[in-house]
Amino acid sequence: MEFEDIYKTYWDRIFRLCMGFVNDYDAAQDLSQETFIIVWQKLETFRNESSIGTWIFRIASNNCLRQIEKQKRFPKSELPIHLSEEKTYSIEPQIQFLYKCIAELPETDRIIISLELEDIKQSEIAKILGLSEANTRVKIHRIKEKLTQKFKENGQQ
Amino acid sequence: MDNNNIDFKDLWKKQTITQPNMEDLITRLKQFKKTALHSLWITNILLFATCIFIIVIWYFYQPEFISTKIGIVLMVSAMVIYLVVYNRLLRTYKNIDATQTNQEYLQKLILIKRKQQFLQSKILSLYFVLLGIGICLYMYEYTSRMSVFYGITSYVVLLIWMGIAWFYLRPKEIRKHEGKLNNLIAKFEEVNNQLIS
Repeated sequence: MEFEDIYKTYWDRIFRLCMGFVNDYDAAQDLSQETFIIVWQKLETFRNESSIGTWIFRIASNNCLRQIEKQKRFPKSELPIHLSEEKTYSIEPQIQFLYKCIAELPETDRIIISLELEDIKQSEIAKILGLSEANTRVKIHRIKEKLTQKFKENGQQ
Repeated sequence: MDNNNIDFKDLWKKQTITQPNMEDLITRLKQFKKTALHSLWITNILLFATCIFIIVIWYFYQPEFISTKIGIVLMVSAMVIYLVVYNRLLRTYKNIDATQTNQEYLQKLILIKRKQQFLQSKILSLYFVLLGIGICLYMYEYTSRMSVFYGITSYVVLLIWMGIAWFYLRPKEIRKHEGKLNNLIAKFEEVNNQLIS
């Protein structure tokens, strides 16, 4: 697969994963770009041992985990741009609420549920995280319950 | 449905997304490469220039005493060791394989951070010791040509300065790094434990 095709096919999915992780539009944009930079650098080393999707999602989720470090170094700056741009991104409150809830979960749960919502097979999710399939299934179930609970409490149904 | 009819998948996919132009990404890529190199080069160039400077002095001023020569060698090796370790650490950190599973990746991050923590305090101490001994030996030839009074004064001033560096600057520097690293390691471990539980 050519880089350009990968970029076009996966940008949206990677962006949503990052957005679920940080719930901040600009940060998610940055994280997605970084992911594709790594993909671009590493594409030569990709062998068809796993599907390209699994491979890319691994890079993306690892990159999300790594930004924990950057987060500490650069506390979210209150740039005035964010304020003016916020309106452009404002979407249905339910969608915003979903992303907010996900970003509040423990880090690895954010990744798991994002991948699940992206319709990735549970066996693939297990391979991305490095978990057993059974464990993954249990985790997904628990996270969904947690989210449903939050939606109920918030009267978002 | 197990989640009481809330269609999370549908909501999830409704997120507005703007796919940036690929050109932007390429520009970013170039910038990224530049800044990464930048931080690496500043330390390298500074220390490397100091080494050259010391060697040039050796060449032009032809020290007579063996102590001076040993001093120079010690100072230069202190800087070279620091440079090598610093560069290697940075390289391993940059090159962690991002295509591993999250679990392997987290463990790698923790391992590298631990190594960094160990090296930083040990290497920094070694750097100060070598540099200190080096300077003392180096100065001997020149102070021996001074009067006793000035010779002793020079050493006293030097030792005071080294005392400050050893007892104040060094621990401060180590503490600064350790605090940051400890927090980070703790956080990575916490995330890793989420996977185990």
